[in-house]
Amino acid sequence: MTVTDFRPVSCLLLLTLLLAACAGQSPAPIEERELEQRVRTPAREDAAGVQVYPLKNPAVAELTDQAERAEASGDLDQAAMLLERAMRIQPRDPELLQSMAEVQLQRGQYQQALSFATRSHDIGPRVGELCARNWRTMSLAHERLGDGRAASDAVDRAEQCMVTRPQGL
Amino acid sequence: MSPPRKAGGKKKTGRSTKKTTRKRPAKKSPARRGSSGKRSVAARPKRSLFGRLVRLCLLFMGLGLGLLVPWLLWLNHLVTSEFEGRKWDLPSRVYARPLELYEGLAMSPLALERELESAGYRKVASADREGTWSGSGGNYIVFRRGFRFEDGHQEALKFRLGLDGGRVSRLASPAGGGGLGLVRLDPAEIASIYPLHEEDRTLVSLDQVPDLLVTGLQAVEDRNFKHHHGVDPRGIARALWANVRARATVQGGSTLTQQLVKNYYLSNERSLPRKLNEALMALLLEWHYDKAEILEAYLNEVFLGQQGNHAIHGFGRASQHYFGQPLDQLETHQVALLVGMVKGASLYHPRRNPERALARRNQVLSSFAETGLLSEQKARVARDRPLDVTPGAAATGNRYPAFIDLVRDQLQRDYRESDLRSEGLRIFTTLSPAEQVAAEVAVRKGMQDLAARGLPNELQAALVLADVDSGEVRAVVGDRDPTARGFNRALNARRQVGSVIKPLVYLTALEHPERFNWLSRIEDEPISLRQADGTRWSPSNYDNRSHGEVSLLEALMRSYNQATVRLGMTVGLGEFTGKLQQLGVDRDIPGVPATLLGAVELTPLEVTQVYQSLAAGGFSVPLRAVVAVQTPSGETLKRYPLRLRPLERRDALAVLNYGLTRVVTGGTASALPGLLGSEATIAGKTGTTNERRDSWFVGYTRDRLGVAWVGLDDNRPAGVTGSNAAMQVWAGLFRALPLNPVSLDMPEGAHWLWVDPEQQALSAEDCPDAIMMPFVEGSEPTTRTRCLARRDDDDSSFWSRFFDRD
Repeated sequence: MTVTDFRPVSCLLLLTLLLAACAGQSPAPIEERELEQRVRTPAREDAAGVQVYPLKNPAVAELTDQAERAEASGDLDQAAMLLERAMRIQPRDPELLQSMAEVQLQRGQYQQALSFATRSHDIGPRVGELCARNWRTMSLAHERLGDGRAASDAVDRAEQCMVTRPQGL
Repeated sequence: MSPPRKAGGKKKTGRSTKKTTRKRPAKKSPARRGSSGKRSVAARPKRSLFGRLVRLCLLFMGLGLGLLVPWLLWLNHLVTSEFEGRKWDLPSRVYARPLELYEGLAMSPLALERELESAGYRKVASADREGTWSGSGGNYIVFRRGFRFEDGHQEALKFRLGLDGGRVSRLASPAGGGGLGLVRLDPAEIASIYPLHEEDRTLVSLDQVPDLLVTGLQAVEDRNFKHHHGVDPRGIARALWANVRARATVQGGSTLTQQLVKNYYLSNERSLPRKLNEALMALLLEWHYDKAEILEAYLNEVFLGQQGNHAIHGFGRASQHYFGQPLDQLETHQVALLVGMVKGASLYHPRRNPERALARRNQVLSSFAETGLLSEQKARVARDRPLDVTPGAAATGNRYPAFIDLVRDQLQRDYRESDLRSEGLRIFTTLSPAEQVAAEVAVRKGMQDLAARGLPNELQAALVLADVDSGEVRAVVGDRDPTARGFNRALNARRQVGSVIKPLVYLTALEHPERFNWLSRIEDEPISLRQADGTRWSPSNYDNRSHGEVSLLEALMRSYNQATVRLGMTVGLGEFTGKLQQLGVDRDIPGVPATLLGAVELTPLEVTQVYQSLAAGGFSVPLRAVVAVQTPSGETLKRYPLRLRPLERRDALAVLNYGLTRVVTGGTASALPGLLGSEATIAGKTGTTNERRDSWFVGYTRDRLGVAWVGLDDNRPAGVTGSNAAMQVWAGLFRALPLNPVSLDMPEGAHWLWVDPEQQALSAEDCPDAIMMPFVEGSEPTTRTRCLARRDDDDSSFWSRFFDRD
């Protein structure tokens, strides 16, 4: 495992986060483009090389595919409904919980985004891309809820997803 | 009748003048007749023929204007206003959670058949209609009905299902078709919330009604429907003739329009004026509306049976009620039965009078053939079919009264009772029919067993089953007789919870990792505490002994009272009561030491809520019975989505869960694995209150949380303990469910270690007496066993040797 260095991108991100927190504007809804830029892409980069692809239940896969299509077409309520259905089948799938967290971010349900990402992290691998997506989602949610310090702490944690393996696994 | 009188009043002056003109000659004539009859007879026509005619005309005009016209106007108003503004009060339909089928799903043949039965599926030889299934011995063909779900309309689908080893082993299209990833059945309709007038109805539009029903109804009830204007003189004549021949009323001459009028506007009395009104209104109805509108109204209005205290109106509901199928799915012989029932819904009731119903149906089939709607061949085939109605039990409303109480409780926050009764809402709930049935069986059987063991016959019980992660309630039983309505103990019986509360005392201790872990020692010795009223409280143990110094884990496993109170007082009563509130207990908790031992009254549902957070690893969700409410047309009015609330200190919660699994493997619930016939990891806690008044058992697997209570309604000592009563009922339910082991993966902040429990020291896998146990970070033992120390020394000497060599 390689130790990733502090990238300038991250510093910039941190700065914008802090500035956003100071500004104290009313939170605007998070669009998919922003989610891609600030959660998914950096998480992929953080995790380059350390990937876990868990086997998926085909029933769950069918529902998550539908949910992704609904999300892409902007029907976020439908996406949330489909993910909830998938969760009835596999309630403790960390990927599923993280997808729900991201949909909740886009719906402006920041508290719920936090909750689902937290749960995903609790039962997930706590390392690699999913871990980074967990923390970056939490960071964005904290930011929108006006907690700049928690937002920047979460970004730090996202970067550590590659550095330290959690104990006790 | 005020309107006609009012209208008549207007013409009064005109009429009275005419009356006076008419009166004069009339008064005179008798006198003349008296004097000379013959002359007057001859003279009368001559004198007033024209005048009389005029007078007669005027009389009738007057009467007409004064009475008939206003009366017609009134009837007309009645007919049009009622018909145009017609809006039937529609009962709300309550649906179970839909069954999602996929390969690998844990499912027994019994559970599958219970699900199909409760969803009104009929077992047939060959499943070629929606709402039917065939097969046995693990191989099934199911023809799913179409259904409008919240996330879109789902088409009907015929599919093949294989069960093997308690799981779905195959899910595919029929006859060698490809595999299917996920098949969702349409949900069972579990209850209706009826309008106050108790009319049950499912609206259908004309295009949803099979042609044979539309034409067949006319063939049997009103052959001239297409051509008459509301009343059918030929029909009346024919009926009269038939009745005269039979010297009894065998045939009615009423048209469909008249029947509709009768159902719609008029009382049931039989009198000439009523008949006249009926005829007039039928004519008016036909004058204003076309045949299609009248027919559609008729199809939705006609009375087709009584079920308990609600009346079934219209063919849409009747089809579901008698056949468990939508109207457009009915076969010829089923259509004929419904058409035949129009003549007398209770006389030809297929469940109560099956023979008469069969004879009537066959008579109807013959008329279908007579009128050319059906070939004689087809009619013969249909006559040989059985009635094919669903068993009565499946169709009776509100089979799960205790669960429906919970649904009403949840809906009452957002809806008025009157809306639930009239707006035809579609209410989607979380009930699992197979699990509800299993819960009911467990309570019935459990109560029989307890009685057989000499416990009181009037023992009562409650049982709640919920999905761990979503908080969705899957089953509720509120009485030893699960079908009984009335006092629902699961929701409303507030009882002392006893030891079921104790885990929270241990949780507050584990949240102080610098002071406590499972191996920490605590005194189980007599303790005496001063209470608010000055008296002293000295709890004793269940076995009336004290056990000296014990570990926290042992104290929980064996449910020692004295150790628990000492621990609770050490950590602080405030933390304990705060924890209860954090876990969703809404009530005021008295801050007295006795609450540490469960001197708190909670309902079984509240206990379920508290334990949901524990079972779900600290992600609290409000328990839900309803997930969505829709309008009849499928527009979602309200969703109750999954909302998680993460609790603080989930590390301590996870460590507590381990302790609760030890209660089952070696503590007060150690009989459970034997009762279940399974060694799966299960967490649980027994509870018994003073003098054995209440028996509780709370237990959970990875995905199901169950709470059982047994006791007497009047709170007398009942001779019950957690393990001798409630745990038996609980086990009866969970024996029928898949037992997925509790997950003991630790979240951040807690981890597993090898320890020697006696020495309270870190150890290693290959050391004697070493076991694995979870610890909250910061609570780990600091000493090492000699075995571990020796090994560590060896290791370091190995490394030193290694480096020395270098």
